[in-house]
Amino acid sequence: LTWTLMRPLKDAQLGAFTFFASALPHDVCGSNGLPLTPNSIKILGRFQILKTLTHPRLCQYVDISRGKHERLIVVAEHYESSLSDFQKRGITASPEKVLQMAYEVLEGLEFMNKHGMVHRALSGHNVLLDCKGNVKLAKFGLYHMTDHGADVDFPIGYPSYLAPEVIAQGSFHPSDPSRDVAPLPSGPKTDVWSLGVLLFELCAGRRLLQNIDISERLKFILTLGCMDDIVTVLAEEHGCLDTIKELPENVLELLRKCLTFLPSKRPTPTDLLRDHVFNGVSCLYTPFQKPVSLFSSSLRCAHLELPEDISELCKDDDEDYLSERAIDEVYHLWCLAGGDLEKELTNKEIIQSKPPICTLPNFVLEDGESFGQGRDRSFLLDDTTVTLSLCQLRNVREYTSLEKFPLMQSSLPQSNSSNELSATVTLPLIIRERDTEYQLIRIILFDRLLKAYPYKKNLVWKEARVDIPPLVRGLAWAALLGIEGDIQAKYESIDKDTPIPTDRQIEVDIPRCHQYDELLSSPQGHVKFRRVLKAWVVSHPDLVYWQGLDSLCAPFLYLNFNNEALAYACMSAFIPKYLYNFFLKDNSHVIQEYLTVFSQMIAFHDPELSNHLNEIGFIPDLYAIPWFLTMFTHVFPLHKIFHLWDTLLLGNSSFPFCIGVAILQQLRDRLLANGFNECILLFSDLPEIDIERCVRESINLFCWTPKSATYRQHAQPPKTAGDNGFGKTATYYSSDYQDMSKTDLSREPLALCDLKAEVSPRISAEDLIDLCELSLAGPTKRTRAGKPKIVAVDIRSAEDFSRGHISGSVNIPFGTVFSPDGELVQCPATGILQNSRGRVIVVICHAMKSAAMFAAHLVKVNFSRVCILDGGINKLKSTGLLTVPSPQI
Amino acid sequence: MKKNKGKANSTAEKEFVFEFRAGKHNCVLKVPLQFPVQENISDLHGRLMLLHKIPCYIESELKSSLLNFVEKETILDYDREAELALQRLTAGDVDVNQLTSAWSRSYVETTLEHARPEEPSWDEDFADVYHELIHSPASDTLLNLEHNYFVSISELISERDMEIKKLQERQAAEMDKVMHELGNTLSDQDVNAVAAQHFDAQQVLENKWASELKQVTGIQKQEYQEWVIKLHQDLQKSNNSSKINEEIKVQPSQLSELADSGTRIYEEQPQLEESFTIHLGAQLKTMHNLRLVRADVLDFCKHRRHGSSGAKLRRLQTALSLYSSSLCGLVLLVDNRVNSYSGIKRDFATVAKECTDFHFPCLEGQLEEVQQLVLYARAQRSSKQKDQPEIPRNGGEDKSKNVERNPSNILPGEFYISRHSNLSEVHVVFHLCVDDNVRSGNITARDPAIMGLRNILKVCCTHDITTVTVPLLLVHDMSEEMTIPWCLKRAELVFKCVKGFMMEMASWDGGISRTVQFLVPKSISEEMFYQLSNMLPQIFRVSSTLTLTSKH
Repeated sequence: LTWTLMRPLKDAQLGAFTFFASALPHDVCGSNGLPLTPNSIKILGRFQILKTLTHPRLCQYVDISRGKHERLIVVAEHYESSLSDFQKRGITASPEKVLQMAYEVLEGLEFMNKHGMVHRALSGHNVLLDCKGNVKLAKFGLYHMTDHGADVDFPIGYPSYLAPEVIAQGSFHPSDPSRDVAPLPSGPKTDVWSLGVLLFELCAGRRLLQNIDISERLKFILTLGCMDDIVTVLAEEHGCLDTIKELPENVLELLRKCLTFLPSKRPTPTDLLRDHVFNGVSCLYTPFQKPVSLFSSSLRCAHLELPEDISELCKDDDEDYLSERAIDEVYHLWCLAGGDLEKELTNKEIIQSKPPICTLPNFVLEDGESFGQGRDRSFLLDDTTVTLSLCQLRNVREYTSLEKFPLMQSSLPQSNSSNELSATVTLPLIIRERDTEYQLIRIILFDRLLKAYPYKKNLVWKEARVDIPPLVRGLAWAALLGIEGDIQAKYESIDKDTPIPTDRQIEVDIPRCHQYDELLSSPQGHVKFRRVLKAWVVSHPDLVYWQGLDSLCAPFLYLNFNNEALAYACMSAFIPKYLYNFFLKDNSHVIQEYLTVFSQMIAFHDPELSNHLNEIGFIPDLYAIPWFLTMFTHVFPLHKIFHLWDTLLLGNSSFPFCIGVAILQQLRDRLLANGFNECILLFSDLPEIDIERCVRESINLFCWTPKSATYRQHAQPPKTAGDNGFGKTATYYSSDYQDMSKTDLSREPLALCDLKAEVSPRISAEDLIDLCELSLAGPTKRTRAGKPKIVAVDIRSAEDFSRGHISGSVNIPFGTVFSPDGELVQCPATGILQNSRGRVIVVICHAMKSAAMFAAHLVKVNFSRVCILDGGINKLKSTGLLTVPSPQI
Repeated sequence: MKKNKGKANSTAEKEFVFEFRAGKHNCVLKVPLQFPVQENISDLHGRLMLLHKIPCYIESELKSSLLNFVEKETILDYDREAELALQRLTAGDVDVNQLTSAWSRSYVETTLEHARPEEPSWDEDFADVYHELIHSPASDTLLNLEHNYFVSISELISERDMEIKKLQERQAAEMDKVMHELGNTLSDQDVNAVAAQHFDAQQVLENKWASELKQVTGIQKQEYQEWVIKLHQDLQKSNNSSKINEEIKVQPSQLSELADSGTRIYEEQPQLEESFTIHLGAQLKTMHNLRLVRADVLDFCKHRRHGSSGAKLRRLQTALSLYSSSLCGLVLLVDNRVNSYSGIKRDFATVAKECTDFHFPCLEGQLEEVQQLVLYARAQRSSKQKDQPEIPRNGGEDKSKNVERNPSNILPGEFYISRHSNLSEVHVVFHLCVDDNVRSGNITARDPAIMGLRNILKVCCTHDITTVTVPLLLVHDMSEEMTIPWCLKRAELVFKCVKGFMMEMASWDGGISRTVQFLVPKSISEEMFYQLSNMLPQIFRVSSTLTLTSKH
């Protein structure tokens, strides 16, 4: 489910109907040797685009879900009354009403046609009426989502309403062997015929061709081709010639135009809308304006008109607030509140299933063909739409206290339930994501913040630290990644069609990328995958496609399935931030440096594990490349990636190191207990990882890591120009070390071989000053509470130490604590070291080599959080921070 | 632009022409387009702008004229295609009656609105009633009643066995006497005559008992079903449940003593059993249960003593899930004839007869139905093959010869299914046909028996059979050629194939958790069993044991 700009619910209801996709022939493989995609998944993929079709004359599609045995359930906007009410009651509609309805239906059809779709199933009960009597077309997407009926067994459309050319083209069945070429699908004009029949029924006050057998009915429609005046013939046939003759001329003309036998003579919905028969009606309607999307070059508030008195806006206190929420939001909450589609449909006896033991086949051949299984009646189509009961949702107390949400310009909502809310915040994420009330409030909050994006960018960041409601995740991530501007135009201007050499690799990778997911395994998903990946490859000529880019694309595509441009924009913003130059043609220097820093991070946080892994030779190169190259998207399923990235996107580019260490720590016991071979086996198919714990622990690790410890010379260079406009003010955690202004006290680049030689990370003098609170001037960047505890260990000789040292540092000359075989010797100095276990230990010396050696020794005896001062004591000489101990009195 | 060869009928190339002024120049853009247009027009537009370096002030004009062009031409295509179809009809290329009856058929066959009304099915009604009752307080009574019937059948059976035994003893004595006299007063012919007479006598007796059993079973089934329906009606009629409860409670007391008297049946034998929880899948993992069991295959079918621990619970469990969507299945390896005359088939039939099946036709009835279907399937296949002779089926030649020999036999890899309500832990039995090939050491993943397993798992998937028991070594009894290496090799093959099939199943049903029991014959050694149980976690990823560690 993705958050789009859907209309508010208003007086609409949510309706669900169900049908079966046709079963695949047993044991047939696709041309690529992989198993065929089930038809239900194809339909599910094609359905997605329907969610973006928002028009006042169309029932908004909300969701589709797959049930057992290829069942599909579609959720859409629904109204109880429809044109078939007229038919049932046998009353005629007034000519004006007929014209209005025709006009409204045509508006809907025109909009569909503009999006390349045809209704094909127009009938009385698919033309719904809202409480104002306006037309809403239902089931308009069935023909599209089933690939023009190819993926279902039942024919689309209703016998009496089928246009003659549709009948002539035959009832096409994919399983029918006599047909080898599928006929061209129906065009927009078939709907005009169906509309004609519908309007005729409205005028005549009776249904057409009801009491005769289907094949006779269809034959009758086909014979109309030889008639001069189809309307008169129909009227005579149904004994309502008088009623029809009395109709005003423009209505009669409309009927004649619709019921034109030859398609070439029949107008399209667009033609008809502009026809003079509607002269008196068209002025009542204003053309539909598509709302401006969040990312566009035009001004979103261009058409906003505020009332004189701004308080007018907040006056509608008595309104039903549920009806003001978007339809997809209401459905999302309905699901959270325990809504169960299958149950609703079963209760109304739309889903009737036989016990499986009664439907077993008796005999199965070696190739899987089965015999003796009677046709199960419960698989027949019953496309009745069931209204979903929202009363459970309306009971959620928060809906009535919604007025307590002030306009966004003041701070956060301060409703009296905020105490309760803050209690919910402390619950595990999984529980919060299922809490209806909590989600409602979070969705409203994010909805308002995102609508004010980028102006409210800082608040989005602030709230994202609490959590991100799954419904708005796509846009929230885009906001966190700082996407702005007319992304659609940019995406469209990229050539995604011309073949490029990478195509073959992409083609191989896509059918292997997160295919357990219905959306991503659908043919539509594959098409979108291909386009987004190609767009990225084409628009980044300096970078190349490495296997893994597909996995990286997956979460963005999943979240923005209907907005490829946004998926592309997010991916393009994500990669330079977290994977700078990872996709170079020769990326070995980047990756090698990255992995070396990662090893240092393991040693820094978990020396025991680090010692063990180094001992058995299980180095990060063997397992961590897919982790980092895909930012863990290759190893985790999507739902875990979402939770991981919710936090990842808030951190800077060194946060992934902490995630890596956190994963290792979760597998710590097994790694420690095993040798090389077992570890390789263990990681070849990574065991289940508790992702919430992983996130929690990586945040903790991150807080303990001095910023400069993860310095990489191949990281993204600092941006030259600062963020302009509404740019967020960078916080300590989210900004990169590289982004901060470089001074003499910053870290120096280090050759890879030197970096590899050191077990422990270096930190900059800057960090040391900050962590030891040595600086006299300027505010500290972090509050005291958030800082890791630190101890500076000066390993120079006592003589050097006394000539000047950092205040608060302890002097443990190199030779005093370690025996020749690397063991700690018992002395007062080791006592100090032992007491500082758990703190960040900064080793300071003249020469980096001896500092590194000392640190390595400490790691060897399992001291954690050991690091070295980059540049040694000399770096600090210029700062004037060194002190000389006053002689003891 | 790619040239699309062939299918000239449905795709056509049309040229889009666009003229514009750039400064003093008149420019003409010509683009050949394939119809129907598959690609996104916005993308096409973007590409044209890029490729031909079209000035940006033309951008929107170009887009709208491109859209109009495509729209117009597409409509023309639709019209042409539609009118062609109408013409075919008027020209008589297509038969109107055939066309409309095809339409009519597709409506009747697929939509509820037009489908023929359903004949009421007694079986399904009974299924509903039973399912409701077994999930009510009446379940205890139902089970007791079933057990009651079971006891009377087993009494009958033991009586039969006794009588047959007596007859055999008498005949043996008589035969002894005759043999004694052989050569003296009696000739070979006389002996043969006596033997034939004995055989006839046995046949008569067995037939007598068979028909009696059949009759009793029939009566029981009818009584039972009537009783169930009546109980259901009573329960529905009166909300006064106390009365019903009394009615229900009467029976257990009288049953319990009966239950005590029915103490024959089988001694419970210690099984070797080990369970594993596994994860399948690369990213999204699904959890399943595996069990390695050393037992006789019929142990899953036989009822144990009523009073013994867990036996009643197991029966209740089986009864509760009979019409549910978590069924239990068992794979039985059989030869190529659909009957129950010999070997494991005979043993199974004996077990299946020990207790009346109150829900499904008796085994013989089901097998008869299967036999008919086999003949039907063969006939259909051969007619299909005649239609499409050019498609060679892999290895089809020697197979078709086989079939020609006797079309009523089934082939290795094929299986038939029987349904039971009267077995202790199983609802569905897959009778998988295997040949002597499975005894050899070198079968591969492409062996028919393995493909049969895959199809069985597929049926499990489509029909909610969530627990299935598979003979791991693809044999029910051990023999001499089945050495330790043979066993290990076979077990590895089956483990790996089943793992592959289970991963495949996850994509069919979304990874519903299931239980697969691997069965090994009783005669393998304990040592062998543990060797196999060590092999399992190396092939499947066993989920980590939950370790509780204190937080620092």
